[in-house]
Formats: sequence, C-alpha cells, structure tokens
Amino acid sequence: MLATHPTSTPEVQEIVRDAIARRSPLRVVGRGTWLDAGRPVRDAAPVVLDRLSGIVDYTPGDLTLTARAGTTLAEIADATRAHGQWLALIPWGGDAGSLGATAATATAGPVSGALGAPRDVVIGLETVTGAGDAVRGGGRVVKNVAGFDLTRLMVGAWGTLGIVTEVSVRLRGLPEREVTVALPLPNALPALADVLTKLRTIGIVPLALEMVSETLATRLGLAAGPALLVRIAGNVESVTAQRAALATIDEPVEIDDAVWSRLRTSDLLDCSIVRMSSSVGRFAETWVAAQRLAAATNGHVHASVMRSAARVVMPHTDGTLPADALAMLQAGGRDTRIWERLPNDLWSVVAPSAVNHRLATGVRAAFDPHHLLNPGILGEDSA
Amino acid sequence: MIDTADLADRLTSVVGERGVLHRTSELVVYRSDGLPGYSKQPRLAVFPRTRDELIAIVRLLASERVPFVPRGAGTGLSGGALADDVVLIGLNRLTRILSIDPVERLAVVEPGVVNVALTRAATPYGLHYAPDPSSQAACTIGGNVAENAGGPHCLKYGVTLNHVRAITAILPDGEIVHLGNAEGEVDGYDLLGAFVGSEGCFGIALDITVRLSPNPQLVRTLLADFTSVDAAAHATSDIIASGIVPAALEMMDNATIRAVEASIYAAGYPTDAEAILLIELDGLAAGLELDVARMEAMCAAAGARTVRVARDETERARLWQGRKKAFGAMGRISSHLVVQDAVIPRTRLPELLATIRTIAERQRITVCNVFHAGDGNLHPNIGYDANDPDESARVHVAMREIMAACVAAGGTITGEHGIGLDKLDYMGLIFSPDSLAAMCRLREVFDPDRRANPGKVVPIHSCREWHGAPRATWSA
Repeated sequence: MLATHPTSTPEVQEIVRDAIARRSPLRVVGRGTWLDAGRPVRDAAPVVLDRLSGIVDYTPGDLTLTARAGTTLAEIADATRAHGQWLALIPWGGDAGSLGATAATATAGPVSGALGAPRDVVIGLETVTGAGDAVRGGGRVVKNVAGFDLTRLMVGAWGTLGIVTEVSVRLRGLPEREVTVALPLPNALPALADVLTKLRTIGIVPLALEMVSETLATRLGLAAGPALLVRIAGNVESVTAQRAALATIDEPVEIDDAVWSRLRTSDLLDCSIVRMSSSVGRFAETWVAAQRLAAATNGHVHASVMRSAARVVMPHTDGTLPADALAMLQAGGRDTRIWERLPNDLWSVVAPSAVNHRLATGVRAAFDPHHLLNPGILGEDSA
Repeated sequence: MIDTADLADRLTSVVGERGVLHRTSELVVYRSDGLPGYSKQPRLAVFPRTRDELIAIVRLLASERVPFVPRGAGTGLSGGALADDVVLIGLNRLTRILSIDPVERLAVVEPGVVNVALTRAATPYGLHYAPDPSSQAACTIGGNVAENAGGPHCLKYGVTLNHVRAITAILPDGEIVHLGNAEGEVDGYDLLGAFVGSEGCFGIALDITVRLSPNPQLVRTLLADFTSVDAAAHATSDIIASGIVPAALEMMDNATIRAVEASIYAAGYPTDAEAILLIELDGLAAGLELDVARMEAMCAAAGARTVRVARDETERARLWQGRKKAFGAMGRISSHLVVQDAVIPRTRLPELLATIRTIAERQRITVCNVFHAGDGNLHPNIGYDANDPDESARVHVAMREIMAACVAAGGTITGEHGIGLDKLDYMGLIFSPDSLAAMCRLREVFDPDRRANPGKVVPIHSCREWHGAPRATWSA
C-alpha cells in the first residue's frame, strides 16, 4: 500500500481524517528499524514519520528536550553529548531508531532499571488520535500533574491510541567517570542466587547490571562462559569503591564500553523474542528457565538484574520456532511473559491479546473509534 | 435519587452507627481540605474500617447512582476532596500495612496508611518509602496516589507514580480491577499510570503495592545562604547542569525564613539572608564528600555568603524541620494561607521569581516562596484574611497572573498538588479543547456516569461529545 511521509502534525491529521473517510487502516512507522516487533498489523497503509524529524526545543540548563517523533536517537545523542548530557533511553535495537517509536513501544534498554523506563523518562507528548485530533499530554517540565495522564497512556500503546508526533523527555548529566566491567557468572542455581543477593547488598549503584548467557558472551567477544556486565558511574572515588565492592563477588575485568551498543544490536535477523520477568526472589530460577529455552533454539539470553527481566532471543528454524521450544513455551511457567517477536501464525497460539479487559478495550475505542491505527498489533482484534 | 435518611440507614447497616456522619455540624470539617477558599457540603460522610466495607459502600452507591468523593487525610491543596451533595468516603480508617517484603523491597498497604508510618515500618529493614510530601506526617498513601504526590526528595527519587508497582482498585461501578504487576512487567496499556494522579475520578484503591528504597549509606545536608534571590536561583541552575543529582534542592526566600525563625520550628536559618538553599546529597559513602565539595564551590561561585554542612543527624533534622513546617510557620503571620503550586523550566527561575515579586507588589500582597528549586516546582504562598473580600479578590488576581506567567515561561499549573477545583479554570491555559476532550473520554472509560469526584480536573464544558461529531468540529 502507498506509504505517506508527513512533515507536520497537521499533515498527520489530514492523513488520519482521510483514512477515516475511506475506513482504511494505517500502519504507523518511525524509522522502520523495529517493524518485526509486535503482533501482525492487518493490511494497512504505512504512515512513515522519517520526515517528521528534528529537535524542536533544547535548553541544556533545563535538562529537557523536545523532538519530533521521527528524530533518531543518534541525533539526540549527538546534540546532548555536546553539552555533557544524555538521554537515558538506550533501547534494544540501537540508535538508528526514532524517539517516537521508543516512546510508542516503551522499549526499555540496559539502563532502564537504574534510570527509568520510557514511562519515567517521557514527560510529555503530542499524538494524533484515531479521530484525527491533535492531543497533548504532560508538558516540557520535569514535574507535572496537570490533568489526566495521557502521556503514560500513550507510552507503550504501540500507536493504537494515537500517532505520536512529538515527544518531550528529561535528560541527565553525563557522569564524571564511567567504567564497564565483566564478572563471570555461575551456572548453578544456588551459586547464582547467592550472587544476585550479594549484588543488592555490597554497596553499588550501577547504571546497568546485565547478565548475558554463554552464547551471547561469545557473540559479544567476551571471555568464555556466562557473564555479568556492570556499568558503574560516579566520581573517581565512587567508581573505585564500586569496583572494589564487586571484587568481593569475583574479579571484575574492565572491558570496552562498546559492549553496550553491541548488546543493544545483538538481536538476530529471523528470530522470536520473549521477555520473562519475575519477582526478585524467583529470578535466578527464571534465568535458568530462560537459558533452557534459549538452548532449545541455539539462541541467547540477556537479563536485567535490577528489573528481574530476562530477554530470550530465539533464532528460527525454517522460519519458525522449533517444536520443542514451542512446547516448552506452551507449558508456561511462574514468570510473566511478554512477547516482542514471533512468527505471525504463532501469536494466536501463545499470546493472543494484550488488551484483555473492558478498561483496555474502552480506552482503545475512546482514542481510535474507527479502529484504524495499527489494527491488531496488541491483539485487540481477538480480545 | 435515594433520599439522604434512607441512604444513611443503608450505609449504617454496612459500617455501623459510628461509621456514618449526617448532621450538618458533624460534617463541617469535611467541607474543605488544606486549601482555604473552598467550602462544599457533602450529604453524608462514611468511614469504612475494612476493605469489604469499602467494597460494599461503593457497590451500594453504584446501585443507587449516588456521586461520591474519596478522601484520605484531607491535607490536599487543590480543593480536590470536596463536593456538594455527595457521599464523602473517608479512607483514613483503612490503615493496615498488609505486608512488607524486605527481599522484594515491596510493601502492600491499604489506602489510609499515613505516608510516614510506612517509612517507620520499613526502617527496621533499612528501607524507606521515598516520596515525602511536606504533609507526610498526616497525608495518606491513597491520597498520594490520587494526587501523584511529590515532595523534596522526588528530585532524585521520583514522584509517587515511580514508586507504585500495582494497585487493586474498585471502579465506580463496583468492579474490582488489578492494575500493574508487582512481580514482573506489564503488557498492554499503562492503566496503572493513568490511574495514579487521577484525583479520585477513576475509582478507589483497595490496596497499593509500592517500592521501598534502601536507605543511603551516607547523607550530607548543606545550607547555603545568599544575599539575593537571583544568586540562589543561579546556583540552582548551575547545580542542576552539573550532572550531580542532589537528593533534594530546596529554596526559601527571606519572608519564609523569617516566618520559620519566628516560630517553634526555628531551624537556625540566617534571618538577614534574601534566600537560602537546602541541598541534600546522599548515596554511597565513597565519593560523597567530593560531591559535597563541588556543591560548596558552586554555591560560593554563585555568590553564597556562607555554606554550612550539617554536623550531625540532629542538626540535619532541624534544618529539614524548618523546611517541612514552613507552611505551618506562616500560620503565625496571617489567618489563611494559599499554598500554590506551579512548575517552570529550571533556567527560568531567576526571571519568574522576579515576576512573582512584581505581581505581589502590584496586588499589595505578601508572597512567601518555599519550593523545590531543583525541579523548578514553585510554591508561591500567599498569607491573607479570607474574610476580607477585597484582599481575597487581590489574592485571586495575583494567583491567576502567577499561573499565566509560569505557563508563558513554558511551565505548567501544578507539579504535585493536582487540579482539584482550584486549578480547573487554568486548564485551558495549557491544554487545547481537543486535549481536554480526550481527558474526558479517558475518565468515561473508568466512570461513564461521572459519579466519582464529580466536577474535578477537567472543566465540564470541555466534555463535549467527541465522536460521531461532524468533521468540521474536529478541526476546531
């Protein structure tokens, strides 16, 4: 179907109104780097926001930034680095993706456990709803409780409540010093649980604490065996003390911080991805279950210790998941499972819908009454 | 609609005689909250002692289609927990802390648990509940959730929403829903995010699961005093831009300092200072003193006369008491106090404080500023006599001018107190008719009858029919 590339919010409104008139669904696209995520969207005309791009407002002293939805994370990183600042949203998928898609999909990355998920970092946004209205929530200041929170509602709604056209975010000052170290991670459950407990009590305040499976460690060029990647930051004394604290667990080895961008872009081309999260107390168990799942597909796992969430990347065989992996998935578990990617025909089998209560269907109907925005991406058709 | 005597009888059958107030004299205290100038007469007030009683009340009101207002401790500052002809549901007897899990660092509480009581209960585990509104000795977690409350330490640790993991709520129609997930991630729409801060319009929390934060290894509290407000504002901007995030960064102007020092909350602030900054740094012990030294240097460079570091916990507590009780101290000066709330981009602080001064002079009123400078959250407070119609009118005009100035600077009309009744008129300053209509639609998903806290947050005239309208009206 013919794609449109609007350059302004009124143009997006025109596109939506035209779609309403023709009852023709729209597929919202940012920079197109993450299109294989989410449930399949019914035949729909792409609205590509690559030309709705650019930083609208950036006053470094305010530590806030407003940009159009199609602005790449790379552009924002460049602009803020020049002022010793950064946007602490470094989602899976890399910096070629757009700010709008990061907000719309609420994609978290390795620093989200310490510095907040998109819902915490986004302070305001503008969307064009499925009724064609330009609607704003929040604002450009870091603290704001004016009105019902449309911002939180839109973040993570996958474009089904409105096409995100502009996003305001809070920024952070770059730490004085930052070091990434790797520690070997035990395979056996009791030893692993012991490490996870210690990490909470030895006195570290890491920016990221990510476990990587043995296969992924090899793919990232690290030493053999599963590893714990720790990003520590602060002033010189603080960083030294945190390294010393980590040494009480095992010997930390300093590694190139490029490992984080490699990790963020380590997803395989033709794969399924599931996130398995649980309570702190059960997370070691969840990690072991995630490893088993990865092993069944020759895939890999990485996990945020601070969010107790593992992300399992499972390459396909003949375009789909191997039968034994699927059987393991269908058997379920005590963890919470959220799917990022699956072969189209498997969604209805393992994760039919994320919109499964009248409040959710009510919100969907209130903001997209004609059901035109990314129809199907949250499984709302099967709700 | 069911008559009041009949309703009182049926509520009494749920909670007993002592759980229902219906005489006008008994209801006087429930006619207003922490903000003077608003008085609304509820039909009845009912006080459940258990979750089951609360559920029964909400379902009874749903079956009789009676509007209601949930109320915590009544410390709110936006006229949020009051309305005419409603049943007021007082949640302050639902005070049980249902669980504290030191491994998961989670607590589950009933809505009437007082904010500071939770921190007290978590202290033996080396944990605390981070959001700390100035009213924390009285306000409830349920009220904090309704307002998405903040507090001084939100600068580093975030507001209420950032600490709520899950809520079990009863919707106005009596249905019980679970929002969020205490044990993992959530798929689909962030309905928890929408519920927190909905000012009692979306339903009532039955239980709330919150994060508890580990106590920092070390805390350092600094008092910097300045001979001009401008210099203090510039120091604030420099600190924020430095990349070090203080746990709190508070400013008080001379009028506030003098009010505090003349009260029983005297904290030893220099009364000849035009402004003071109260700066707190916390975290790992290693390296903290380096950051303290940097703060001292930044304040000195901006023109601080002195910078003092609290020597011990006693001095630290005293410095903070002056700040947290500043509103109370102002009670000595005048009979009524409007504690206002607005947020501006942080680089605009010097300019906005000057504007507020000009407005105060023009309207012949006294404004005391005591606020969360670090996140640009202003609290211009006006002491006045609410029984003096002329002065009250001037206060009202000044408030409107201050709000307009904050909005013009790119700010917003409330950072932590909510819209309630007080800010309804200002909503149009920051949101378009379409945005306001969208908020109305969101409310209707939770409460199609608009019976929960009626008339709050979004001006009623904004709630036009949004769909099926002719196309022309969409582009208004």
